[in-house]
Amino acid sequence: MEAWLDDLFWTYQNLVVSLGINGLLALSMYVVLAAGQLSLGQAAFMGLGAYSSVLMTLAWGWPFWLVLPASCVAPVAFALAVGGPTLRLSGVYLAIATIGMGEVLRAIYLNVDALGGALGLSGIPEQASPLLIYAVLAAALAVLWLVGRSGLGRAMEAMREDATAAEATGVDVRRMRLGVLVASAVLAGLAGALSAHATDFIGPNDYGFEPAVTILSFALLGGVGSPFGPVLGASVLTLLPEVFRDFANLRLVFNGIVIVLAVLFLPRGLLAWRMPRRAA
Amino acid sequence: MRRRAALVAAVLLAVAPAALAAEPVPVGAVEILSGPNAAYGIAIKAGLDLALDAVNAKGVLGGRPIALTVEDSGGTKDGAINAARKLIGRDKVVALIGPTLSNEMFAVGPVTNARGVPTIGTSTTAQGITDIGPFIFRTSLPESDVLPVTLKKAIARGAKTIALLYANDDAFSKSGFDTMQAAARAAGLRIVATESFGSKDTDFSAQLTKIKSLNPDAIGISALVEPISGVMLQARQLGLGKETLFIGGNGANSPKLGQIAGAAADGMLVGSPWFVAKPDRLNQDFVTAFRAKYGKEPDQFAAQAYDAMLILAEAIDRAGVAEPAKIRDALLATDHTGPMGPFHFTDHRDPSSTEGVVVLEMHGGAFRIAD
Repeated sequence: MEAWLDDLFWTYQNLVVSLGINGLLALSMYVVLAAGQLSLGQAAFMGLGAYSSVLMTLAWGWPFWLVLPASCVAPVAFALAVGGPTLRLSGVYLAIATIGMGEVLRAIYLNVDALGGALGLSGIPEQASPLLIYAVLAAALAVLWLVGRSGLGRAMEAMREDATAAEATGVDVRRMRLGVLVASAVLAGLAGALSAHATDFIGPNDYGFEPAVTILSFALLGGVGSPFGPVLGASVLTLLPEVFRDFANLRLVFNGIVIVLAVLFLPRGLLAWRMPRRAA
Repeated sequence: MRRRAALVAAVLLAVAPAALAAEPVPVGAVEILSGPNAAYGIAIKAGLDLALDAVNAKGVLGGRPIALTVEDSGGTKDGAINAARKLIGRDKVVALIGPTLSNEMFAVGPVTNARGVPTIGTSTTAQGITDIGPFIFRTSLPESDVLPVTLKKAIARGAKTIALLYANDDAFSKSGFDTMQAAARAAGLRIVATESFGSKDTDFSAQLTKIKSLNPDAIGISALVEPISGVMLQARQLGLGKETLFIGGNGANSPKLGQIAGAAADGMLVGSPWFVAKPDRLNQDFVTAFRAKYGKEPDQFAAQAYDAMLILAEAIDRAGVAEPAKIRDALLATDHTGPMGPFHFTDHRDPSSTEGVVVLEMHGGAFRIAD
C-alpha cells in the first residue's frame, strides 16, 4: 500500500511542484494587475531569478537557504532600473515595453557563454522541496491578503479603477507603480529560483514571450478580485493538460475548449469573489 | 461432475503459463507530438511503431509482446518531465525511449536516471547527454562523430581554409557549431572567420559579404534547415559559386533543403548517419516496409527510432527478464545491425561506430551519395 502511494507521489511530483511555482507566478502577475498595470515582464523576472540563483549554486557554491533570498536581488535591481522609464507608460504600451525587456534578457542568456547559451545550464541540484515551495506560496498569499485588506490595497484598487481619480485623492501613483513592480519581481524571482532548483535544467526559452503570456492567462482565467483567483487559474491551466493526457491527440482540443468556455461565460474569472475590506 | 472439474483444472493449468508468458512488457516513449516541433516526434513514433510490428510478430522473452505507450511532451521541459514520470510511475514501463530534444533530455534524464530506468535518446545529439548518468543511452550519432567524416571528404576535395556560420539561438545549432569548430581544428583546417545569426533571420548578406572577402575554400553552416536554405540562396546571389565548398551540419540533412533552396544548394556536403538510398538490404527492407505502412518516405528520425526499438527489444531478450537494471546491463552488450548500419554502445553509452555515416551531396535539389 505504501509503495503504491510512493509511486503515485513520484508520478505527480513534478506536477505538484509546477502547481506551486505557477501559483507564485500568477501572484506576481496579480500584484501588477491589481494596481491596474499590464506588465508582461514576469517571465523575464523569473528568468533573472533562475539564472542568478543557478550561478550562485553552481559557480559560487552557496547554500540554498542563502541562494533563495538572494535570488530576488537581480530581478529587483532590474525592476528598479527599468521601472523609471517604463512606468511612464501605461496600458498596452507598458505591455510592449516589458515584452521587449524579456527579449533583451533572452538574447543575453543566448549570447553569454557563462550562461550556457542555447544549451542552458544543467546539473542543478534538486534542493527545492515541494514543502518549501508551498511554504513560500502560502507566505506570499498571506502577505498579499493582508496588504489587500489594508489601506494600500484600497489605494491599489482605486488605481485599478481610475488612476487619475486615485491620484486626485492623494495616492502617490508613481511610487505605488514602482512598488508593485518590485513586489512582482520578488515573487517571480523566487518562483524562478525554486523552479530551477526543482527540475535540474534551465534554458533561455523557458523565459521568453510564450511563458509571459501563459502567466498572464493564469491571472486572467482565475480573476483578479483576490489573490486566490490567479492561484486557482494557475492550478487549472497547469492541471488540464495532465488531466486530459489520456485523450492523447484530443487533449489540446479539450484544453482549448475549457479556456474558451471560461472566457465566454466567466468574464471576471473563475473566482469573481472580491476580498472583504476592513471599514476605513 | 468431478471429471468436469478436473478437466477445467487441467485446462487452466495448461493455459496459465501461456497467459503469463503473453503478459505484455510495458515500454514508454516521450516524444513531441504537438506544437512547432511535432514533425520530429511524429516521424519517430512512426519508426517506433513499424519496429514494434516486427518485434511483436515473435515477441520477446519467449513470446511476450511489447506494449508501447507514447506520450506527448509538447516540446516543453515540464511536459516532458510529466510524461516521463507518468510512464514510469503509472504505466510501470521498464525502459523509456526519447525524449525528442536535447533540452528535454537534460530535464528528463536526471529523473529517469535517479529512478534507474534505462532511457534511450534517438534524436538527442548535443554534447553531454550521456554524462547525465549510467542509465542514459543514445542511439543518435552525436555531431562530433558525423562532422569529422564530412570534413575528411571536404579536405580530400582540396579544402584548406574554412569559414563558420551558425545560428546562436537554439541548442541544436549552437552545439553543432561548437562541434564543427572543434572538428575543423582537429582536421587541420584553418578557420578564417566565425559569424552568427538568429534562427528566424532572413538576411545574411552582412555575414556572407564578410566571408566572401576572406575567400575561404569552404564554408561550414550549423543551423536548422530553413536558415541554411536562406543562406545558400543569398550566397549564390552574392556570387559565391562552385569554387566554394559548402558544408552543412545535421540541420541541413533534410529534403526541405532542396525544396526551399533548389539548385542554389547544389554541391553542399552533408554528413548523415543514414540515407534513404543506402543500398544495403536491411535498409532497403526498412524503406519498403515504411512505405507500405505509411505511404511516404522515412526520414533519418524514423530510421533512428526504428533501430532503437529493435535494439531495446533485443536487450530485453538478452536480459531474460523485464527489469530495468538488467535491461540496462543488457543494452551495454548490444550487437545490432539495422538500417543505420552496425551498432554497438561505447562504455559511455554513446554509439561506438561511425561506419554507417554517409556523406551526401546536393545535386539538382536532391541528395545523392557524394563520390
